[in-house]
Amino acid sequence: MGVFGENNADVQYWFGRASKLSPMNTPLPSPAPTGVDSPTAASGTVDASKIYGIGDAQVKALDNVTVSFQAGQFTAIMGPSGSGKSTLLHCLAGLDTLTTGATFIGSTYLASLSDKELTELRRTDVGFIFQAFNLIPTLTAEENIKLPMMLGGETGDAAWIDQVVSAVKLDGRLKHRPSELSGGQQQRVAVARALASRPKIIFADEPTGNLDSETGAEILDFMRRAVREFGQTIVMVTHDPGAASYADRVVFVGDGKIVGDLADPTVDQVIDHMKQADS
Amino acid sequence: MSFRSTALLARKSIRARIGRTVAIAFTVTAGVSFVVGSFVLADSMRATFSGLFNELVSDVDLEVRSAEAFAGNSERDPIDASIAEQLSEIEGVDIVEPSLIRFAQILDEDGELVATTGGPALGYSYIGDAGLQGITIKDGRAPIGGEELVVDKATADRVGYEVGDIVSYLTDAGTHEGELVGTIGAVDSDGFLGASVVALDIPTAIEKFGSDGKVDAIDIGLTDGADATAVQAAIEDILPARIEVITGEQLADESQSDVDGFISVFGTGLLIFAFITAFISAFIINNIFQITIGQRLRELALLRAVGASGKQVRRMIVSEAFVLGLVATVLGVFGGIGVSRLILFLFNQAGAGFPDTETILKLRTFIAAAVVGLGVTLLSVFVPARRASTIPPVAAMRPELGFEALKKKQLIIGAIVAAVGVVMLIIGLFVQPGPALSWAALAGAGALALFLGVASVSSTIAAPVTRAIGWPIAKLFKVPGVLARDNVARAPRRTSSSASALMIGVALVSAAAVFASSLRATFTDILDNAITADYIVTDPNFFGLSPAVAESLAALPELEAVTPVRGIGAQVNGDTKGFGAIDPKAFEVLVNPDLQAGKIAGLRPNEVLIHTDPAGDLNKGVGDTIEVLWQNGIEGTLTVAGVYGDATFGNWLISLDTLELVSDAPARDFFIIGKLADGVSAEAGDLAVAAATADFPQADVQTNAEFRKSQEDQINQLLLTITILLMLSIVIAILGIAITLALGVFERTREIGLLRAVGMNRRQLRRSVRWEAVIVSTFGALVGIVLGTFLGIIASLAVPDDIVSKLAFSPMIIIVVLVFAVLAGLVAALYPSFKASNMDVLKAIATD
Ligand SMILES: Nc1ncnc2c1ncn2[C@@H]1O[C@H](COP(=O)(O)OP(=O)(O)OP(=O)(O)O)[C@@H](O)[C@H]1O
Ligand SMILES: [Mg+2]
Repeated sequence: MGVFGENNADVQYWFGRASKLSPMNTPLPSPAPTGVDSPTAASGTVDASKIYGIGDAQVKALDNVTVSFQAGQFTAIMGPSGSGKSTLLHCLAGLDTLTTGATFIGSTYLASLSDKELTELRRTDVGFIFQAFNLIPTLTAEENIKLPMMLGGETGDAAWIDQVVSAVKLDGRLKHRPSELSGGQQQRVAVARALASRPKIIFADEPTGNLDSETGAEILDFMRRAVREFGQTIVMVTHDPGAASYADRVVFVGDGKIVGDLADPTVDQVIDHMKQADS
Repeated sequence: MSFRSTALLARKSIRARIGRTVAIAFTVTAGVSFVVGSFVLADSMRATFSGLFNELVSDVDLEVRSAEAFAGNSERDPIDASIAEQLSEIEGVDIVEPSLIRFAQILDEDGELVATTGGPALGYSYIGDAGLQGITIKDGRAPIGGEELVVDKATADRVGYEVGDIVSYLTDAGTHEGELVGTIGAVDSDGFLGASVVALDIPTAIEKFGSDGKVDAIDIGLTDGADATAVQAAIEDILPARIEVITGEQLADESQSDVDGFISVFGTGLLIFAFITAFISAFIINNIFQITIGQRLRELALLRAVGASGKQVRRMIVSEAFVLGLVATVLGVFGGIGVSRLILFLFNQAGAGFPDTETILKLRTFIAAAVVGLGVTLLSVFVPARRASTIPPVAAMRPELGFEALKKKQLIIGAIVAAVGVVMLIIGLFVQPGPALSWAALAGAGALALFLGVASVSSTIAAPVTRAIGWPIAKLFKVPGVLARDNVARAPRRTSSSASALMIGVALVSAAAVFASSLRATFTDILDNAITADYIVTDPNFFGLSPAVAESLAALPELEAVTPVRGIGAQVNGDTKGFGAIDPKAFEVLVNPDLQAGKIAGLRPNEVLIHTDPAGDLNKGVGDTIEVLWQNGIEGTLTVAGVYGDATFGNWLISLDTLELVSDAPARDFFIIGKLADGVSAEAGDLAVAAATADFPQADVQTNAEFRKSQEDQINQLLLTITILLMLSIVIAILGIAITLALGVFERTREIGLLRAVGMNRRQLRRSVRWEAVIVSTFGALVGIVLGTFLGIIASLAVPDDIVSKLAFSPMIIIVVLVFAVLAGLVAALYPSFKASNMDVLKAIATD
């Protein structure tokens, strides 16, 4: 490696700083509504790159990704293991920062936010569902659902929360602790928590990965109802073509890049697409 | 897996958890340091003092002094100075050096008393550089004749006296003055352990100290080659009755055992606190090992799954603990030397005037260090290691640790241990079998067992009590408060054991507080009921007051009754007793001793008043006679003239006349009490008393209220001293809570990551951890207050009624302790809360 190799990191660092300081220097797809019919982007990235490590040990988890997710849509993200799906989700949700490029939620660019503002954003505008361990073990199911509102010292929209809670169908298990709930019930509580604060967008990283297919289907059905009936925006990472078929759109990721995009997918279409990507 | 692989795993494991390892090692080191420090200090002081005293008596070949009928009296009768002349005529006697120590108070240039730095104000007889007393001249020369004197260099420097100045001093024979011709010190030091000393040559001393032609003892140096035994025999022949002659070796042995007695009291005190510290450290060490091994259960189960035997897992944990204990022990020895220096420094700052000691490290010290450092550590991992070795390999596949279940068996054992502790404590304190040391040890062991038992049983109440403590916090601080409360309650066993260390410290402080309050209440009660005196005159120098003070007060028409209180030792039926001597007529007016039979006012020579306790023990009543052997060897018969029930003035009372008949010792009044005559105002009384004592500035006159206040201050001072000595264990307890909490934070990494992911901000997280610590420390303090109050009540009941006969509690102290507990929690939370709030959200989520 010569001079170039070593300077590369510096260049990227400064470029990253510059883009963080003035996101408007980069042309962006307008996050603002452009018309009644035209779909609005609830969240997205512009030229997003994420590099782990330096020198020879460098891994480019995201490589110049520009993507946006429409409000009121259920989007699935698919791709092989290690392709950068989780990294993308974490950066979108403000849990992680990009090396270069920008991410936005609604009309807010995350790079411009302080740690405190990011936390506030996560509490109010973002919902997150992990593969497992989504709930605080000392709190009851109900308390877990209301947690983001309680953290903000708010009571939330009571009618809406009731609606969400009844949709979760926990029937009398609301006062139970997570350890007394089944894995499927726990994930349902996690989805309810993500919905309860009416965030602009919900990110889910393999929310059904730990569940059997039947329980998984319940969760997916519930998520799809949230999008259809309540107009919620959801972005979900999954490995399962069946799960992806619940979505309105599938985005394929490979090697840190967007390698495909499919609207109103069926299971077979998804499988075909995956085969294509493999070959 | 061979032994090599065990060692490898242990080494890797210590390295991987460096933070925790350091924390545990620090706790062990602190415990070891304090134990070692106590030993080093006690041994070093013993060596230094022995050296000092041996030097003091090294040149004395023989000493002539009055005999004692039995050991254990504070002072011997003085002997006639004229004996000295006879002694110098004996063949083989070279130097004859009478010595005299009396009360003498140095005055400053304005005629005010010069306060000492903790010791008494002494007047010495001084012979010269050839002297046998081990006193050395620092500046100038020895005093010769009635116009010259020397004072100790420390006091001279403090007051600003220089050689050539005229110095005034006050003795029982009045105020005198002389020219300062030099300064002196004890052997190598500038002073006399905090005492102030004015020294005169012996004829002058006899005259100015008002010793009535008497001296305390006569030291003798022999001519070269003289036969000591023969000279001793020759001296014995000319000595009058009840005067003895002893050898220099005997004298050295006596002073050595005096030193040992003092050092062992001091050393025992230190060791008790060292032991408490070690005990509390053991608690924390045990708790930390429990938690860390609990956290590693999955890793250990994985080891089992890949083929490690239970024994190997156990061996790995034990060898880890061994390495840690060894390192901590070695560090603790060094730390201990530092601690001993620090304690010495603190005592000297407080004016103790201890000489600079060399550092003595005995084998015993190392053994104690190893027992505390290695022993406690290994003992602490014993149970967790066994638990770890029995975990099934499938545990590796089990998900997160759930809520802690309480084990019934442990609780039953805990309850039994606590009950046995209470029984031992009660037998030790109330039955008092065997010598003092054995029952004190029994009571101490009982208290330890009680602490252990309560620490275990308190886990049953941990959940409900911490919920109650957490209720207002949850109400006030919403989610962070709720989480704090729930996190404390979710692991009741951990909560109670991490609170236990603080519980013990607080229990000891509260026990001392209850005892002190009861002591104070008893005292107040006595002042309210038993003593009707308006004035109490004492001597802050512990030397006792000249009888002239009482005489001058008794002459006042403003006072209705005045009596001095003196004392003497005597043996009754072979047991040594303290006798008080009073003026019966005045005593009857001043004191209400709860007379059961007989009379007080007409108490005649060779009559005695006895308390109901000895009256019952000896089966004596009014008119019966009692044989006594007075401390100077005189035998006598006393007739019981009355029996009383209030032991404020001791169990045996005789009249001053009787005392004069049986004692040759110079009369010294411990204190004097007096009462205003009817119709005399307090102002008039105060003025009259002040005028009557104007010539005796050493007499400290206090009104009833002032006396009460000063005694209460003393009790408070005692309580404060105990609390300060317990401070180190409390600091360790706070450290324990901090470490436990930090481990808990580490354990809940994922939970914290999740909270941050759903929008909890750093401040809320810090607040949550902070209140968690406060709930734990408050819980420990609450249990400690309850337990300590119980212990304090038991101790107060166990002490004889003449010291503590009432129970009292101080709500103020409880409030102070609780406020302190909250602060302790806040301090303990500093690091863990910082750690929690600075956790990388993504990493936390990714942790498993
Ligand atoms: N903290 C990190 N440090 C270094 N490299 C990382 C880190 N996190 C992720 N990577 C790398 O970045 C790449 C993308 O990881 P990411 O977790 O986003 O993949 P993924 O698509 O979610 O995979 P999976 O389907 O297995 O969850 C991988 O090569 C991974 O090794
Ligand atoms: Mg992933």
